[in-house]
Amino acid sequence: MDNLKEDLKTQIIEQLNLEDITPADIADDAMLFSDDGLGLDSIDALELIVLLEKYHGIQVTNPDEGKVAFKSINTMADYIHARLG
Amino acid sequence: MSLITTYCHLSADICSVNGEIVAKRNIESDESWFRQIYKEQEFAYPKFNKMDILSQAGFLASELIKRANPRIATAYGDDEIALFFANHASSADTDMRFVHSYEHNGAPSPSLFVYTLPNIVLGEIAIANKWYGENMFAVLPKFAPEFFFNYGQILLSGSSKAILCGWLEILGNAINVFLFFVENNVENGTAFNHENLLKLSSFNL
Amino acid sequence: MTYIGAEVIISPMGGTTAENWSAMRANRSGISLVSKAGFDNADFYLSKILSLSGGYKFEKLLLEALESVSAMIDPEILSSERTIIIVSSTKGELDEDIKDQFSHSAKALVTRFKLVNEPVIVSNACISGVLAINTAQQFIQAKIYDHAVVIGCDVISDFVVYGFQSLFAISDAPCLPFDAQRNGITMGEGCGAVVVSNAKEIFQNAPLALFPGTSANDANHISGPSRTGEGLFRSVKRTLELNKIATDEIDFISAHGTATVFNDEMESIAFDRLGLNDVPLNSLKGYFGHTLGAAGVIETAASMQMMRNSTLIKSLGYQASGTSKTLNVISENKEKKLNTILKTASGFGGGNASLIIRSL
Repeated sequence: MDNLKEDLKTQIIEQLNLEDITPADIADDAMLFSDDGLGLDSIDALELIVLLEKYHGIQVTNPDEGKVAFKSINTMADYIHARLG
Repeated sequence: MSLITTYCHLSADICSVNGEIVAKRNIESDESWFRQIYKEQEFAYPKFNKMDILSQAGFLASELIKRANPRIATAYGDDEIALFFANHASSADTDMRFVHSYEHNGAPSPSLFVYTLPNIVLGEIAIANKWYGENMFAVLPKFAPEFFFNYGQILLSGSSKAILCGWLEILGNAINVFLFFVENNVENGTAFNHENLLKLSSFNL
Repeated sequence: MTYIGAEVIISPMGGTTAENWSAMRANRSGISLVSKAGFDNADFYLSKILSLSGGYKFEKLLLEALESVSAMIDPEILSSERTIIIVSSTKGELDEDIKDQFSHSAKALVTRFKLVNEPVIVSNACISGVLAINTAQQFIQAKIYDHAVVIGCDVISDFVVYGFQSLFAISDAPCLPFDAQRNGITMGEGCGAVVVSNAKEIFQNAPLALFPGTSANDANHISGPSRTGEGLFRSVKRTLELNKIATDEIDFISAHGTATVFNDEMESIAFDRLGLNDVPLNSLKGYFGHTLGAAGVIETAASMQMMRNSTLIKSLGYQASGTSKTLNVISENKEKKLNTILKTASGFGGGNASLIIRSL
């Protein structure tokens, strides 16, 4: 589980080209889309959908699903576990 | 009479304002050239990191022009500054990156796709400044002083009181950026005409 | 006075303006299901010219459109030094040369029609067409040129389909502008052309009057419409004021109406703020799909046909209101004398543009 979270942080930094940010800067429960967190926006959310397919083989067909799943590293990890059963 | 009051050049290794060098590329650095300028000049606009190279160039040059000419921030209403840019390569640099995303990197990248239009840089500058004025992006065979002069005059004879104009050519390592600000009713500047545009546009500093 | 006429439309509904008009009058769409059009071989509804095959589609359409134009005006005009060709497009011939998306076609136009001036390309996302027509008007009013031919063209490519697919912006059915069930755009391809001139006599058929238009940026987001419709509101307001035209003089609005949830909602808010709720309005995307840089020219040409034929054309795909502000979306074709019409466009990069055409 923890490995998945660390992997996700690296993948997000890579996929979103986040400059000046290291995995250690992202707390597991930080709000990814809030300005106090990573300050991601709606296009980043779509990029996270690409990430899920690319690294985890998970297809998201309804972007609204992403809104719930992408709240934080914790919710993303939970979502991946649920989808992969 | 309309005057060019401030201008900025960006080439592959030099950044200058009104002909004076403000930054030189450090080829030893791991940072991209535009990130070097961004950091050195101490800009603080996190969105910069998400922009494509065309928008980064437009953002840097417009911010440097604003620093050199504080009037811009105070003398005009929010819809009185028109943005009028042109180039030859359109958004080709980012277009190729987007093609790469779906041909070689698994899936089309939405964050690249939204930058695959040359006029996005106008939007970024409008957003950064809350400018609601006129916009135009044209694709031309080469830098055409006459076109900038003609259409610039048209904009200035309408509701726009000033124009931020630019030639923004970026393709691979070739960078030719020349942004200039044209105003009416000011005392100091270079007459806005073909000859001066040609002279100032020279990228060989 | 600036005149506009000699309108040309090439779309999946036909290669001539007359064929397109008869399809619109019959409320027939150019949209069809195209198999394996998307990334991962997804099927998509597209407004695609199925007869257009091989390479250089963009160039072929430009040449065909200008050929049609040349038959409708004084033949001396195209090769005059007082004439400029303005092409509006987003991606041009990207499939042929991604590093140089317009030069080959522009040269082909120059050679074939013996143009004196190099064509100018206006590339401002989805407002390109309206902006190009406005630019033509401004060039002529400023006496820089006497005549301008505006050609709007974009073709469907994997590039644009995959892109809009990655944004989840493509509708799973033919698009439904302003409707409660709308869920995205339908991509289209096509070419439109109009001639703008200071001389009435160059037109074989009587032209209409083109008024100066304006553009305004939302200053809000590069790929999402403003929630308040600020740029569209400002552009239309400025265009009306510039021409001293009151809202009650507008007989029809050719809206942008892409059929995404947010765009159509934004337009309803802008038109509501402008007090234009009651003016009959349509989106022609249900017929032509979203032809991006061509849309403004194709839809202006189609609106000119509506004026000439005194007919309001139904907004195809619309059944029940799906915007927070009420609009008078045209639900059936209707005969009506159209004196003054408003054309608007909004697009990526936060751009908005508007123009006004009046019957003479």
